[in-house]
Amino acid sequence: MGKSVSMWYLSAAAFLAAVWAAAAEIVALPIIPSPLLVAENLTEIFMDYIAVHSIYSLWRIGAGLFLAVAVGLPVGVLMGYFPKCDRFLSPLVYLTYPIPKIALLPILMLLFGVGESSKITMIFLIIVFQVVVAVRDGIRSIPKETLYPLYSLGASFRDIFFEVLWPASLPKFITAVRVALATAISVLFFTETFGTKYGMGYFIMDAWLRVNYLEMYSGIVVLSLIGLVLFTTIDLIDQHACRWQYKQ
Amino acid sequence: MYTAIANVDLVVPDGGTCAVIGPSGCGKSTLLKCIAGLIPDYEGQVFINGEEVNPKTQTIGFMPQNYGLLPWKTVVENIRLGMKIKKAPELLDRNVIKQLMRQLGIEGLGQRFPVELSGGQQQRVALARVFALQPDVLLMDEPFSALDAITREEMQDIFLRLWKKFNVSTIFVTHYVEEALYLGQKIVVLSANTGGIAQMIENPLFGGKNIRQQPEFFEMGLKLRNLIKKDWNQIWENQ
Repeated sequence: MGKSVSMWYLSAAAFLAAVWAAAAEIVALPIIPSPLLVAENLTEIFMDYIAVHSIYSLWRIGAGLFLAVAVGLPVGVLMGYFPKCDRFLSPLVYLTYPIPKIALLPILMLLFGVGESSKITMIFLIIVFQVVVAVRDGIRSIPKETLYPLYSLGASFRDIFFEVLWPASLPKFITAVRVALATAISVLFFTETFGTKYGMGYFIMDAWLRVNYLEMYSGIVVLSLIGLVLFTTIDLIDQHACRWQYKQ
Repeated sequence: MYTAIANVDLVVPDGGTCAVIGPSGCGKSTLLKCIAGLIPDYEGQVFINGEEVNPKTQTIGFMPQNYGLLPWKTVVENIRLGMKIKKAPELLDRNVIKQLMRQLGIEGLGQRFPVELSGGQQQRVALARVFALQPDVLLMDEPFSALDAITREEMQDIFLRLWKKFNVSTIFVTHYVEEALYLGQKIVVLSANTGGIAQMIENPLFGGKNIRQQPEFFEMGLKLRNLIKKDWNQIWENQ
C-alpha cells in the first residue's frame, strides 16, 4: 500500500473518531463512551480477551469463503462456458439466490448443530451465489473473437481455462467476494450470538449483557478492524492480479 | 443450420496469398472460420497441405478483426501464447520473439498491456503473434480495417515484408478493394447472391513496385468495385 493510501485511511479513522468523540461529549451517557477510554481499554484487554475471539471469527470467515470459492468457481465456469449447464443450473440458482440466507439459520442449526459447521455453512451460502453469478457473467462477456485464435491452434479446455476464462472472470470474481464479504461479516455476528463461547459476535453481545460498554465498544472497533484488514487484503490481491485493469 | 456459403471451390498455392472480398453478408467470415476449423459441422472439405483441417495437428494462425489480444497478458506473453498452446519449445526461443518484435518496431513494448498500445501497435503485436508460430496457413479476418488509412498502408507493407520472409500461405478477408489488390496474389470475389464464388482473379498487379500509385491499380480497383456492386444489386432485383 502506498504512503498516500495509508494517509487516507488514517484520516478516515481520525474523522470517525472525532465524530464519535463529539457524540460522546454531547450525549454524555455511559452508552457512548469516549473513544480515548475505549482505545485505552482495547490495548489493555486485546491480547488477553479479544484476540482469541477475533481469531475464531476470522477462521469462520476464511473457511466459509474458501468453501464458497471452491464450489462457486467451478460451477460459475461451467455455467458461463457451457450454455447447456447454464440452462439447467440458472433456474436453480435464481430460485435459491434471493432467499435471505439468515432465514435458513434455524434449519442449519438443526442439521449441523449449533457449532462451527452451521456458522461456516451460513457464510458459505451467502458468498457462493455471488461468486457463481459473477464468474458466469465474467465468462459470458468474453467476446467469441478472443477465443478464435486459441481454438484454431487446437487449445485444450485446460489452456482455455487458464489463459482466458480464469483471468477474464477474476475482476468480477474479486468484486463479488468484496461485496459478499460485508454481508458475511454482519451475518457472522448474528450467528455467533448462538451456541458458542467464541467469536466477535459472542464477545460483543456478552459485554452488552454485562453492561460493560467499554468492552462492547472495543469489540466493535476490532470487528471494524477485521473488516478493514479483509478488504485491504482483497484490494491488494486485486491490484496485483488484475494489474492490466488499472493501466492507462 | 443455414447456408452462408455454397459451391466454393478454391485452391491456394503453398506460400501464396489469397484475398477474399465481397459485400457484407456474403459469407466471407464463415469461409474463414471453416478453414480455421472453428465450425465443426459443414458440408464439404477443407485441406491444408493435403490433410483435412485439424487444429490439433496443424498450425493454423488466426488473426481476428479486433486483433484478438488478451488484455490481461503483456505484449510478450501475448506473442508467446500461441507457442505455449502448441507446446513448441523450439519456438519458445526468446531470440525468435525478440527478432520479430524488432522487425515490427515494438521491441520496447514487451512489458506493456494491450490497453497501453495504439491500434497500430496492437496490430503489430497480433502480427508478431501469428508469424512467430510460422503457421501452415495464416487466416486474417478484416486484418487492417480498424486502422486509419495511413497506418493501414504501413501495416500492409509490414505484412508483405513478413510474408516474404516467412513464406506463409495466407488467406484474408477484406472489404477494401485496394487491400485485396495490394496483398492478394489471388483475389476471390464472393457473391452475396449465390453464396459462391462470383469471380476468381489472378492478380497481375501483386508485388509491383509502388503499385498503389499506378493508374492500372485504380483501373483494376474500379473494375472490382463494379463487380461487387453488380452482385449486390442483383440481390435487390431478386427480392
